[in-house]
Amino acid sequence: MIEEPYRWVEAIANRREYIETQLASGSPIAAVGYRDGILFLTLGRARQKIFEIYDRIAMGAIGHPGDIERLRMAAIELASTEGFTRSAGDVSLRRLAHYSLSPVMKNAFEQVYGAPFLTRMLFAEVGAKPEEDLFLRVEYDGAIATNGATFAQARQDFAVLSGTGKSTELMESFLKIEHAPGALFEAALKVALDAWSIGHMTLQKNDAKELPERAALTKHREEQLAVAGIEAAILERDAETAIRYRALSDEEVRASIQQ
Amino acid sequence: MEPSLVTLEQSFSGTSEDFPALLRRKGLFSPAATIDLTARAPNSREQSWKPTEATTILAFKFSGGVLVAGDRRAISGNTVVYDRADKVLEIDRHSIMAIAGVPATAWEMARVLEHSFQYFRRTQLQEMSVDGKVRALSKLLRDNFGFVMQGVGMVVPIFATYDFNSNPGPRLYFYDAMGAQFEVADYAATGSGSPAVRGILYYENSWGAKRLQKLSEDEAVTIALRALDTAAESDTATGGVDRSGKIYPLIKVVSREGITTLPERKIAAVFKQTVA
Repeated sequence: MIEEPYRWVEAIANRREYIETQLASGSPIAAVGYRDGILFLTLGRARQKIFEIYDRIAMGAIGHPGDIERLRMAAIELASTEGFTRSAGDVSLRRLAHYSLSPVMKNAFEQVYGAPFLTRMLFAEVGAKPEEDLFLRVEYDGAIATNGATFAQARQDFAVLSGTGKSTELMESFLKIEHAPGALFEAALKVALDAWSIGHMTLQKNDAKELPERAALTKHREEQLAVAGIEAAILERDAETAIRYRALSDEEVRASIQQ
Repeated sequence: MEPSLVTLEQSFSGTSEDFPALLRRKGLFSPAATIDLTARAPNSREQSWKPTEATTILAFKFSGGVLVAGDRRAISGNTVVYDRADKVLEIDRHSIMAIAGVPATAWEMARVLEHSFQYFRRTQLQEMSVDGKVRALSKLLRDNFGFVMQGVGMVVPIFATYDFNSNPGPRLYFYDAMGAQFEVADYAATGSGSPAVRGILYYENSWGAKRLQKLSEDEAVTIALRALDTAAESDTATGGVDRSGKIYPLIKVVSREGITTLPERKIAAVFKQTVA
């Protein structure tokens, strides 16, 4: 059927719709830069969603666990072999995503007889200064969105990942207003938690057009905190060791929220 | 980076191979040397089995964990080529590999080991057990044994780490060139100066003022410096303490909190007070 160009476009469109439906229930992940590093945060611990890729690179992903695993392993393999043969300083998220992951994912997506990757991934790489932090979202079709300055937007020091476009959009517009660059950890944690809540609320109410009221947001956040576990990790900017990734325990995050 | 670096097989199983195997698959790591008896130096057995790993490394448990110390001299034949060599290498937050032997092979082994532990943690989402780590080094030594038989690339390391499992505490191992590992209760030494050091540590542990495990950090540093200085007295391949150049041995401590590298001024202060 795909000999005809029109049929191919149709097949791709169907496939896109199918993948979007599969990803639609994925719990959001917020990644927020702060003065001393980058925080990854999500709620609900059915399975791990935030991972260490290399010394300064972390990943969050939603989608099919099998696909996440394959891409995660590929990313770790690439980063580790590069870090071993050259040096840890030569491992770069930009190269990893643009030269390795994106082409592979695009290929799989467009080969309509093969299986695509049912996953959406969020990467961050901590820099020496907050301005050097890199955030990068890789879609199932290999498309990449970064936090860099473009004609349409200024540079952002956050990035989000969610099941639907609407949810992603609202989380981003919330962070654009509420997240101050160079914030301290506690402030970043609070804003990340709120951004997650907004993303989660929007997933449940598909007709949401704008940001919820403050009271509704607080209510939803407290309800979710009462029933779900917190998964969080940080990439520390100034650690003594080369490895900057550190997973935060549920208790550790809750203690910081109390302050 | 070659374009084909991302290979995603449909048969992906989730269990990952170990890091040296990954490097070999990608052609980034020299294959294990085959033990070829004909390739041995033909004239004498001694030439193919050089027992001299020119250096002195020592490690012992004391009240604050495990102390690992090494001199700084690197030699080629009877020439001193470097007097600030770092032979006490950090592998991860709680593990140290201290090396005697051919530096090229030893440093490469340390790099492979460092990446192996991290690769395992990142892919498998759990820390490698102490037994697994000890075994990983053993495997690297075994793979290298072909080179040892050919008279090149002998490495005899010491491995110190902290075990967080059921019976937490510092652990100390030494190896032979074939990869056999031996866990020790109190102390270990390797390198050309090690016979003298072993004698001192045995004496101190049995009849000294305190058992090694009871020593404070300053007392432990004193013993380590005295032992290295004694080794250097008769062994030309060991640097000991360079009094004129102010070059002190490298001393690191493994404890529950991680690895501490003792600052040079602290070592210098202890040296002035109790050794010089």
